[in-house]
Order: sequence, then structure tokens, then C-alpha cells
Amino acid sequence: MLNYNSPINDQKEYSEIRITEVEPIIKLNLRGKKRDFMTKIGKELSIIPPSDPNTSSGNEKFNILWLSPDEWILYSNDKSDLNNTNFLEEKLFNEVSKSKIGSITNVSDHWTMLNIKGKNTFDLLSTGCPFNFNDFKNTKGAVAQTLVNHIDVIIHNKDLNNLNLFVRRSFANHLWSWLNDSSRFF
Amino acid sequence: MFLINCPYCGERDQSEFSAGGEAHIIRPKQPTELSDDQWAEFLFMRKNIKGVQLERWNHAHGCRKWFNMVRDTSNDKIHAVYKMGEKPPIK
Ligand SMILES: [Zn+2]
Repeated sequence: MLNYNSPINDQKEYSEIRITEVEPIIKLNLRGKKRDFMTKIGKELSIIPPSDPNTSSGNEKFNILWLSPDEWILYSNDKSDLNNTNFLEEKLFNEVSKSKIGSITNVSDHWTMLNIKGKNTFDLLSTGCPFNFNDFKNTKGAVAQTLVNHIDVIIHNKDLNNLNLFVRRSFANHLWSWLNDSSRFF
Repeated sequence: MFLINCPYCGERDQSEFSAGGEAHIIRPKQPTELSDDQWAEFLFMRKNIKGVQLERWNHAHGCRKWFNMVRDTSNDKIHAVYKMGEKPPIK
């Protein structure tokens, strides 16, 4: 049976850093190149997938993050139940995948979402990440895919010193341990 | 820090990328008609230039797109990056 599986289910607080696992939320992978794909997603969710690299679009319900010229990840702001997820997935799957204008994949369990906030957020990440956060941290809605402690992550800048970080479920514990260890230095 | 300019994401650290070898090697249309030597030539033989070389790279830990690069192998100077399917901008 379908189920949400969280590897962490925890929240930790350090000096000006708070790390929380946020779950369960809907995460869908969207892929498509055609104009029809864009308009269909726009019609169904009232958000157009952003075409500019390293950006996102969203409303009060959902965010769509740019991953690649033909790939996006959608996630919900609110915690949701399985019925909601299945309903949205099925609706988009029928509209997009079945009519072959793109593809919709449910990745709710594939990615684990951590919320990191506090003044030391970017200093913490910078201790193990090659990405230059100078412009990123002042750009609300900015998206970056990079490495943190050699682990692939997607980072979505929500607000000032407040970001959502996606990590593959199988790496989530490892990154969680690293984030907690590194936070103790602040 | 060694930066590479991904044609999609912009400047990123080299650790996010992986190299894919020499670019613009065309796969033979009819592999069955080739001798073993000719097939091995396509499969394994690379120029391995000391100097300016056309290479394929992949932004493995970013957008995961392949692209081409003009790189001097003797000093790692990157002269240009260009998308797959495009002609090399120099030479
Ligand atoms: Zn890229």
C-alpha cells in the first residue's frame, strides 16, 4: 500500500539555526518541452513552470522549481494527506502524461524536505558546499541544485535566511547527521 | 576555485561537473558493416590533444544536461562552452 515514509521526523535547534524535516508534502516531478505542456500545467495549477534557470514560481498552495530546461519539481506548501497527493497526481497524469505532452511522476517519497532557517543558515551550508550564495541569499524564490557535503541537493530560497532543502531519501540521514554535527560549531 | 560556466545554470564549481571525453565523434551509421579495427577506432581511439580540445561535459550535480566545451588541456583555460548540437564557436 502507498504510504509516506519519513527517514528523520525530527527538529533540532542550534545557535541561529533551526533544522526541521517537513512532511508529508506533495512532490511531483514534471517534464515536458511542448508549449501545450506549459499551458496545461498553468491551467490546472494556475502556476506556469518558470523558464528562467535557477528560479521558481508559485502561489499560496504550490511551488514549481526550475531543475533543467525541460524539468521541474512541484511541491505543496501545506502538509497533505495521501488522498490529496493521489488526486493531484492522477489529475495531472491524465491531463499531461496520457495525452503525451509531458510526464508526471510522484516523487513525494523520493525527496526528503528539510527546512533550515536562522541567521547562520548560509554559513552552515557554505562549510560543505561549493555554491556561491552571495546573490542567491538575497533573491527570494531562487533555486540551486548543488552538492552539500558531496550529497546532491535542491535548495529553494523561501525568505530571508529561510530555505527548503531537498535531499534524496536514501541520503537524508547522512546529510541530517552532517548538518547537526556542523551546526554545533556556530 | 575552478569554475565552469554551464550553458543553462551559469558559473558553478568544477566539482558539480563530470567530463565526458572528446566531442563530435560521430557514430558509424552501419556498425555491422565495419571491421573490428574500424569499430575499435570509433569506440576507443581519441586524439588526447595537448592544447585546445573540444570536449563533452555533463553538469552532473546541477541541471544534468550535457554540453560541449573548448578547453586547453595544458592549462585548463576554458575558451568557450556551447550546447549540444551546436557548432564549435572557435577553430
Ligand atoms: Zn547546469
